[in-house]
Amino acid sequence: MSIDALIAYVLQRLPELWLRTGEHLMLTGCSTLAAMFIGIPVGIFIYRTKWLRGPVMGVIGILQTIPSLAMLVFLLALLKEIGVIPALIALTLYALLPIARNTLTGLEEVSAEVMEAAEGIGMQEYQQLMMVRIPLAAPVIAAGIRTAAVVGVGIATLSAFIGAGGLGQFINRGLALANTKLILLGAIPAALLALMVDFSIGAFEWALRSERKKDKKRSAKSFMRRPALMLPVALVLVGIVTNFTKPGWISGPQASLENGHEIVRIGSKNFTEQLILGEMMARLIEAKTDLIVQRRFNLGGTMICHGALVNGEIDLYAEYTGTALTAILKHAVMTDPEKALRYVTKTYHQRFDLQWLKPFGFNNTYAITVRKADALQNRWSKISDLEKSADVLIAGFTAEFSERPDGYPGLRRIYHLHFGDVLDFDPSLMYEAIRNKKVDVICAFATDGRIAAYHLKPLKDDRKFFPPYYAAPVIREEILKVHPELGDVLSLLGGRIDDAEMQHLNFEVDGKKRSIAEVVEEFLKAKKLL
Amino acid sequence: MIKLTRVFKTFDGGQSYAVKDLSLNVDRGETLVLLGSSGCGKTTTLKMVNRLIEPTKGIIEVSGKNVLDYNAVSLRRQIGYVFQGIGLFPHMTIEQNVEIVPRLLGWSTRSRQERIEELLDLVGLPAGSFAERFPDELSGGQQQRVGVARALAANPAYLLMDEPFGALDALTREALQQELLSLKNQLKKTIVFVTHDLHEAMLLGDRIAILHDGGLEQIGTKEDILNTPATQFVKDLFSIRRSGTWK
Repeated sequence: MSIDALIAYVLQRLPELWLRTGEHLMLTGCSTLAAMFIGIPVGIFIYRTKWLRGPVMGVIGILQTIPSLAMLVFLLALLKEIGVIPALIALTLYALLPIARNTLTGLEEVSAEVMEAAEGIGMQEYQQLMMVRIPLAAPVIAAGIRTAAVVGVGIATLSAFIGAGGLGQFINRGLALANTKLILLGAIPAALLALMVDFSIGAFEWALRSERKKDKKRSAKSFMRRPALMLPVALVLVGIVTNFTKPGWISGPQASLENGHEIVRIGSKNFTEQLILGEMMARLIEAKTDLIVQRRFNLGGTMICHGALVNGEIDLYAEYTGTALTAILKHAVMTDPEKALRYVTKTYHQRFDLQWLKPFGFNNTYAITVRKADALQNRWSKISDLEKSADVLIAGFTAEFSERPDGYPGLRRIYHLHFGDVLDFDPSLMYEAIRNKKVDVICAFATDGRIAAYHLKPLKDDRKFFPPYYAAPVIREEILKVHPELGDVLSLLGGRIDDAEMQHLNFEVDGKKRSIAEVVEEFLKAKKLL
Repeated sequence: MIKLTRVFKTFDGGQSYAVKDLSLNVDRGETLVLLGSSGCGKTTTLKMVNRLIEPTKGIIEVSGKNVLDYNAVSLRRQIGYVFQGIGLFPHMTIEQNVEIVPRLLGWSTRSRQERIEELLDLVGLPAGSFAERFPDELSGGQQQRVGVARALAANPAYLLMDEPFGALDALTREALQQELLSLKNQLKKTIVFVTHDLHEAMLLGDRIAILHDGGLEQIGTKEDILNTPATQFVKDLFSIRRSGTWK
C-alpha cells in the first residue's frame, strides 16, 4: 500500500479513531483513578495493620492472575450488563495490585532514622504518617500508579470484547475480518497511547518532586511545572468529554443516542458473517424506518450475545437454529430443520420473551474441513473417512466448538474421532492455521468464503450429526410491540440469501478485504431492497 | 532539672539490662555528658528522658514531674533533640525543617519566620542563602547545624544530644564542638550530651557521667574524675586517654 493510500485510509477513519482513543483514555483514566482511591488507602491501612498484609496482598495478587478475558466474562455474568461498567471494574481490579503494593513498599522503605526523628521531635502518629512517611513514600507510590496506568492501556484493548469501545474495537474487528490494517489502526495508537500515559504521569511526578521548589522563578523548569501537573488530568478529561459528547461529526457506527429519537441496538458475534448480517439488518432498518440504529457488534460468542439480548442490552441479533437449540436451550440435536425452527421459536417465546423472525435462507452448519490436497491424496470425502488417521491429525477448533455438545464432544461420540491434538483458535485465525498447515482439520462454517479461497474441502456429514444452522433475526418482543415495523422490515430479508450467496458475501469481505458496509450496500441494491 | 531515680531498662524480659539501677541529676543550665562505649546504655538513657523508650522500672522526672505523667507528644515538644544520624526530613527545605516544632505548636507564620532567621544566624547558616535549600544540598556539618537549630526552635529548656558529631570528619567536629561550647554559654540550656569520645566529653561537659554495662561508674566534674577515679574501670579509662576514644 502506498503512503498516500495509507494516509487516506487513516484520514477516513480519523473521526472514529478520535472517538475510540477518547473511550480508551476514559477507560484507562477512570479505572486508574478509582484504583488510586482504593489502592492507596488500602496500602496505608495494611501498612498499619500488619496481620492484614498477607491476606489482603494475597487476594489482590490472585485478582491479578485471573486472565483478562476470563475476568471480563465473569463480570459480565455477575453484573448482567455489557459495556463500560464491567470493563471499568475489571481494569480497576487489575490496577489495584501495583498501586497497593507500591504504597505498602514505599511506606515500609522510609528510613527508620527519619521516622525516629519525626517521633522524637513530638509528632503525633498521624502527623508522622501525613507529614513525613507518606510524602517520602510518594515517588514509589507514583511509580506504582504509572505502572498501573500503562498496563491499563494494554488491558483496556480487551474491553472492546464486551462492547465497552476503545481502540480494542479496531483490533477485534480486524481480527474478525482478518484485516491487518484494521488491527494496526487499533494497535499502533494503543501503543502510542501507552507511551503518552507513561510520559504524562512521569511529568506529573516530576512536577510534584520537592526539589521543584528550588527551581528559579521564571526558569524553564518552573514554567513547565504547571503544564506537567495538568497533563494526566487533561488526558483523562479529553477521554471523558469525548465519551459523553460523542460529537455529531463522528460518522459510522455508534454515532447514536440522539435525543428524542428512538434507538434500536443491534448486536453480533465476532465473525464476518455475523458482522455482515448485523450490518445488513442495521442498514435496512435505517433505510426503511425512523429508528436510530446503534451497532453493538463483535460481542464475542453466543452466550454473550444471548445474555445481552435477554438482559435488554441489545434488541436483536442474528442467531442460528442449531446453536439456539443445543448451546442455549441445551436440547438434543434435531436434524429436521423445520422442526428445529418450530421448537426454538416456541421455547424462546415462552422462556425469554424473544421472537424468531423469518430465516435468511442459508444453512451455515459446521463443516469438518480439510485441505483439498490432503483430501485427494487420502481419498477423504466423508467425515467417517477421518476415523483411522484422526490420531495423527491436528485439529483447530473455535473454543466454542470444542465445548458445545453439537461440536467436538458429539463428533467424538458419533464418529469416534479422537484427534492427536486440538488447538483453540479465534474463528478467523482458524482458517489461517489450516492454510498455513499449522492444523489439518478445522470446524469451518459452511458459508465461509475462505473454503473456496483457501482451497479447502468440507467433508460430507455422512452420519447426519450436525444439526441445521439456519440463521434468523432474534428480537425482543418488547421492542417488537412498540415498533412492529421492525418485524416487517426484517422479514424483507427472509429467504433472500442462500448458501452460495452467503459464501460470496463472506468472501467479498474476508477474501477481497472490502468493507462490510460497501458489500452490504451492494447486496441490498442488487436485491432491490434499497 | 532532669532526675533519674533507680532506673532499669530491659529489652528481653529481664535476662539482661541495658540500663541498671541508674540514678543521676542534671541540674538546671548544666551540661551533663553521658560517656561510655557502645552498648553501655547511654543512648537508651537519653531516649527514656523524652519517652522514645519507656523505663522498665524507676522514676524519671523532668521539671519535677514524672515523665510518664506527661503526654508523650507534648513532652517531646518541650525537649529539643539532636539525633545521631541527623534525621533531617529530606523532603522539606531547611526552613521547613527548622520551623517544624513551632508549626506543630501552632505558632503564627510571622513568629516562625522570625525564629527561622534568628536560629539560622545563630548556627552560622544565613537564612538568605540556606533557608530554601534541601538537606541533601548541604555538607554533613551544615546539616547537623540545622539539626541543632531545629532542636532549639521552640526554645525548649532542655536539649538532648545523641552523639551529634559522631558521623562528621575530625575538623568539622572540632569546629562544631567549639560552636556548641559558645552556644551553651549563650543559651543556658539544660543539656544531656551522649558521646563515646573522651576528648569531647572533657571539652563539653560541666559534669561527666561514665556508664559501663548499663550501670553508673562515676559522675562528677572532669577534675573529680581525673583526680579521684571511683573505680578501676574509670582509672583504666584515663590510662588510655592518649588514644582519645575507644569503642
